[in-house]
Amino acid sequence: MPVHSSNTPFKRRSLFKVAGLGAAGAAGLPVIAACSDIESGEGAVQSTEGFDFVPTYKEWPLPVQPDLVGELPNHPSGFTSYPEPVQAVTEPPSGSGTYELTVPVWGDTVSGDDPYFAAVTEAWGGTTVNLRQADGVTYADTSVQWLKANEYGDAILMFGWMLGSHSNFQETVVNNFYDLTDIVQGDIAERWPLLAGMPTSSWSQSVWSKDPADPDSARIFGIPGNFSGGVGNCVFVRTDYLEAANLAMPTTVEELLEVCRAWSDDANGKWAFAGLDWFIGQWFPAGDSEGWKWVEDEQKMYHVSELPEFTERLTFRRTLWDEKLIHPDAPSGTLDAHAMQAAGSVLFTQDSLGWWNEFARLVGTGEIEGAIAPLPALAPAGRTPSVTMNSSVDGWTFLNKDLSREQVEEFLDVANWCASPYGTTEYELLQYGIEGEHFTLGEDGTPVMTELGSTIVGGPMNYKALCGQVQTFLTGDPDVVQARFDYDASIQQYAKKNLFEGMRIEGPADYKAAASTLNDQENDIAYGRAELSSIPDMVQTFLDNGGEAAREYYTKAYKAVNGE
Amino acid sequence: MATLQSTAPPEADPSPPRRIVRRKRTVAQRLRHDWPLLVLALPVLAHLAVFHYWPTAWNIIAFMDYSPYRPFWENPFVGFAWFERLFNDPYFVPALLNTLKFAALNLLCMFPLSVALALAMNSIISIKVRSTFQSIVYLPHFFSWVLVVTVFVQVLGADGLISNWLMGFGGERLDFTANPDTFTLLVWMQWAWKDAGWGMIIFLAALASINPSLYEAAASDGANRWRRMWHITLPGIRPVIILLLILQIGGILSVGFEQYQLQRQAVGYQSTEVLDTYVYYQSIIGTQGESFGTAAGLFKGVIGLILILVANKIAHRLGEQGIYQKS
Repeated sequence: MPVHSSNTPFKRRSLFKVAGLGAAGAAGLPVIAACSDIESGEGAVQSTEGFDFVPTYKEWPLPVQPDLVGELPNHPSGFTSYPEPVQAVTEPPSGSGTYELTVPVWGDTVSGDDPYFAAVTEAWGGTTVNLRQADGVTYADTSVQWLKANEYGDAILMFGWMLGSHSNFQETVVNNFYDLTDIVQGDIAERWPLLAGMPTSSWSQSVWSKDPADPDSARIFGIPGNFSGGVGNCVFVRTDYLEAANLAMPTTVEELLEVCRAWSDDANGKWAFAGLDWFIGQWFPAGDSEGWKWVEDEQKMYHVSELPEFTERLTFRRTLWDEKLIHPDAPSGTLDAHAMQAAGSVLFTQDSLGWWNEFARLVGTGEIEGAIAPLPALAPAGRTPSVTMNSSVDGWTFLNKDLSREQVEEFLDVANWCASPYGTTEYELLQYGIEGEHFTLGEDGTPVMTELGSTIVGGPMNYKALCGQVQTFLTGDPDVVQARFDYDASIQQYAKKNLFEGMRIEGPADYKAAASTLNDQENDIAYGRAELSSIPDMVQTFLDNGGEAAREYYTKAYKAVNGE
Repeated sequence: MATLQSTAPPEADPSPPRRIVRRKRTVAQRLRHDWPLLVLALPVLAHLAVFHYWPTAWNIIAFMDYSPYRPFWENPFVGFAWFERLFNDPYFVPALLNTLKFAALNLLCMFPLSVALALAMNSIISIKVRSTFQSIVYLPHFFSWVLVVTVFVQVLGADGLISNWLMGFGGERLDFTANPDTFTLLVWMQWAWKDAGWGMIIFLAALASINPSLYEAAASDGANRWRRMWHITLPGIRPVIILLLILQIGGILSVGFEQYQLQRQAVGYQSTEVLDTYVYYQSIIGTQGESFGTAAGLFKGVIGLILILVANKIAHRLGEQGIYQKS
């Protein structure tokens, strides 16, 4: 029977205090809806720790130990060498089912006719998993309607950052997806040893409650993706251009602005940035988590927009625009920043750290020349930087509730195969493809993608994200791995504290809508369509239309986490 | 030799005229008689039922706190709560005003432009020139909005053809495609390029139905080109103009979607948000839910219905047929 989460508005917003034993009901949150009769879209808070029904963890011994040993969660280990891979699943199960998996794709979609897909299918036991590839740029938004209409095939891949696009993802999860609990709880090491070897925290973060007020209704609904740990995003700079222009690597926001001014030349098609919006918050760190900051002295939760750092970061963006330090078509949001940085028309890109390896690959194949490196943790002069770290699994593969138990078990066979870590033949096939066709071993013994391999296997999606690995490492070009390991080490001291550790908070719909508009208004200011003086008005509008009510919501969540 | 025809009156029918009694046919008889017509109408009826009336019935969720995960009958009725939320939303009124602005602009500028183009086309005598002109002005109608917007950005954008040409002479970049102050003009230019030619076709058909002898008679009476257009051409196509005007007024709040959505990020939501994009961003991909979007859609529909009724009434008062009459 469908489960609607809005039957008991007061209880529904109750929180689980996550300390100690984990899920334990706490006091309810106040009603937030503006119109008294409307109960939907009031948000949900979910504990992500302390469950006794997740798979029993049983270590899956790694075939080879990493060359660079870090410390999870913020400093992942890495490999600078490529070991002789061993087979992780010695007796692959035999599967005959056909499933359709919806995945996001950034860039060109790949043809399913390539031998890569046939080889992977054969290797994991014969189960056919056809990919429904959808545009990654709009995936989060459009997935809202696919899910409500149950039009996503047999499974769908969702990343954690996509959940914010849904008005009530908790309700979506418990009504749409297969409840895996009965299948995966307890000891599953015999059939799925790799899934049993995944971190317990990954499984715990795959739990949603049918009724958030009732701890007993918590169930496992997703196959967890990778727990990467460490920093995921940064701003890359073309270091060769910095050297050529005799510019030093900036260490403060003010120095960064001077570098932008020194390098940019609008008339000759050179700009510091092709775009700078979602990352800049890290340079003017106002909110602690989820855009909120707890001020201990005042015992008050502040939204980022209420703090002076919000104005500072908009002033910085506006300066980039007014002084022509950012591409004139940046407002369109359609520029290919990678291509522009590779071509040398922009100096910086806000990016995921995956671009580092890809840039090195392009340099290695001779397609481009140059070098990039991430900017160090920056803050205005005299302030301490703050760096956001990955604190949860990257995402989940959710299975359709209409599947049978046998089908789900067959899909989990596939997931178990995909969970094979670095140093296994499964990992090699999944991540690099077929040797000689999709990759070759370079002089240093590490895999080098061919052009075909880069096109078919090199993209961020296909089967690679179907399930998280037992453990993830920094891998790829040895020089990049070493540099990234060192970079991770250098920013540990700036790791930002998560205010809501152990919780997954879904804000009320009004608040999300108001925040979305606030974001649009930030862009208005950043691109000269509105003045900085309009900030107080737009913040007030945001607070009046959901922000103020959400303050109380997040305050309750914070107090529940911190036992107040 | 012609045969003389009898001029004698026909013999009168001796029997009195029979009274024709129209018996009301039964449903079965009518079905037997009209079944081919009914069969022909079936596809249209099915289309209307599935794609118009059935979705229209679902407008009821505008009065419910609807969730697709509940059985329909378990969704509670909330009266006008969603409308209340809609009208209190600070972003709704600007979207409505933008919609009205663009609709008025379309009505005042695009409609006469199509008529003017048709008149210009009608005055071209050379068939070759005429067909070339016609192709040039109406072919852009078949371009998608993505292509139209891309062409404008490539030509008039900050990094476009003209900007770079100006920069070569030491000039400044154009910010025409990203400037909210000039967005209305940009929209008008895009409409004019894409749709003015298409709009003229129906007027051309109306012009073709005007009797040429009227022009000849007027010319021989000394009427110049302007007088002929004023006294013959425009009155000749007036019913068509009125009909299209009424239809256009009915859809006044539907000013389009893609054109605004595609340029939203570059120009900013304040200038580009119209009711259709508002519903899309708030409800379809936003967090406000289906009931909210349906309430906004229903509001738009009701306003459209009122406008079309009023426009039709005014047309009747002016002696025109309008789109329908009660009798």
